[in-house]
Amino acid sequence: MKPDTSATVFSQRETTRGHFLMVLKASASFRKSLPGQFVMVRMTDSNAPFLSRPFSIYSVRSRGGDTFVEILYKVVGKGTEVFSRLKEGDAMNVLGPLGRGFDVPSICKKIVLIAGGVGIAPLSFLAERCEKETSGAEIICYMGAGSSEALAGLDRIEGICSVVKISTDDGSRGHSGPVTELFGHDMDLYADNDSRIYSCGPTQMLRSLHKLLKDQPVACQVSLEERMACGIGACLGCVVKTKSDGLVRVCKEGPVFDINSADFSEHNG
Amino acid sequence: MKLKMGVDIGGLTLKNPVMTASGTFGYGEEYSDYLDLNRLGAIIVKGLSLEPRDGNQPPRIIETASGMLNAVGLQNVGVKAFIDDKLPCLRGIDSAIIANIFGETIEDYVRVAEILNDAEGIAALEVNISCPNVKRGGITFGSDPALAGEVTRAVKGVSRFPVIVKLTPNVTDITQIARAVEAAGADALSLINTITGMSVDIEKRVSHLENVTGGLSGPAIKPVALRMVWEVVNAVSIPVIGVGGIMSARDALEFLIVGAKAVQVGTANFLNPGVTADIIDDMERYMSEKGIDDINDLIGTLKI
Repeated sequence: MKPDTSATVFSQRETTRGHFLMVLKASASFRKSLPGQFVMVRMTDSNAPFLSRPFSIYSVRSRGGDTFVEILYKVVGKGTEVFSRLKEGDAMNVLGPLGRGFDVPSICKKIVLIAGGVGIAPLSFLAERCEKETSGAEIICYMGAGSSEALAGLDRIEGICSVVKISTDDGSRGHSGPVTELFGHDMDLYADNDSRIYSCGPTQMLRSLHKLLKDQPVACQVSLEERMACGIGACLGCVVKTKSDGLVRVCKEGPVFDINSADFSEHNG
Repeated sequence: MKLKMGVDIGGLTLKNPVMTASGTFGYGEEYSDYLDLNRLGAIIVKGLSLEPRDGNQPPRIIETASGMLNAVGLQNVGVKAFIDDKLPCLRGIDSAIIANIFGETIEDYVRVAEILNDAEGIAALEVNISCPNVKRGGITFGSDPALAGEVTRAVKGVSRFPVIVKLTPNVTDITQIARAVEAAGADALSLINTITGMSVDIEKRVSHLENVTGGLSGPAIKPVALRMVWEVVNAVSIPVIGVGGIMSARDALEFLIVGAKAVQVGTANFLNPGVTADIIDDMERYMSEKGIDDINDLIGTLKI
């Protein structure tokens, strides 16, 4: 009855400055993971950091009977700083897969991914699935980051998508400015029922995207991020405002929401 | 030799002394994929009020050194929805179900207790007179001996269930409150609730919590909880339930040794949803190793 949460660090490396790819060897139950779902991760033998950390699943792979859960993350605080120093063989606890993932369409002409920074992680997993499961889809990615050095996960997404368009805040690579601006230039290409848009990134970016898509009929799902303690719906720490349902739990009702159900008004987030 | 793990708490018999603390275990169902709920001595559900409550605006939690602050604000479905929608799922479970209740007036407490009298499948009430998160709420009752006694007497006067009163640590002398609640007829006490705390974002110069203050829980508060349980055990003659920062069987055993008849596990459920089963297993292992057949032989055996 009790799921096996034990895992070990299989490998870890810095992919771009301040960004790490951690591969965890975990229970076979993670094979059922869906893009957009997340895991709660903590070190088995240490209470520092105290709480588990939520991470979107970057990918799940099976090899020779073993199951590997990949996490792509940026060092932003105490928890990720400690995690970045973990080495092969370190004992971890991984709870998941958790939450509601992205809808993977069985048929669709254009899958459009809009990623801000490390928000690429769940979108890359989604792209992998759409490549296999969505018939007739062209997968296009708009990828934004602070600078060219912060484009974590670029190689992998370039291997899946037919087009990857890049923007950086400092102009060191691709379009200079926010990724939503870059996407905005092309938006007319996707404003119909043949396209689906998926996004993950900072709240400010999602808010801009929401404004852009406001009067468009195109379907868009976004993955939200919040601090959470349990990941299973009990602590009520990760709630966000929605337009119709009041406060909802990111861990249980999300982390993936329809962009129109999330409340992106300025005072929120 | 089979170990005797059962304890009696003011008319409430538990098959073992491990309970889940209110507010950390939802309505039980959230944990059913991760834990055999039948293993637990008791499940204390999320605090219930007369009407549903949305709770506080986010952000609601922040990690601290060896713990966390929360300002959830007693979000809950309300007592009626609990009875109709949540309680039926718990009825088949072989653990005592304890309803935690709170209110903003004595009339609220009484009304919630009365409504629960008609519910089937509840073993006891736990009365929250101590939640520090709601501006007009429990803090007034729990920090004043007269008010604490008054609300206890009122609930005890209407409820058909054993009444456990949960005490706040945010007082000058917790034994004063404990004595007042005992004198008012409480069947048992549970302590401690969270310790009021703060955490500040120095970049934005705002509190990490929208509510500004929150309740501290986790291993950071265990020594304080243990000391208060020990003080209260020595001040009253009704059973005391120890709560505060319990992460392992070792922590739970400390509370039993100072005199708690049972324990509640709270924040640890967030880190490991199956932790309570591990704690029960490890307690039994400890007893076997020490040659203790009955858990009651361990309770209150602190040598001074």
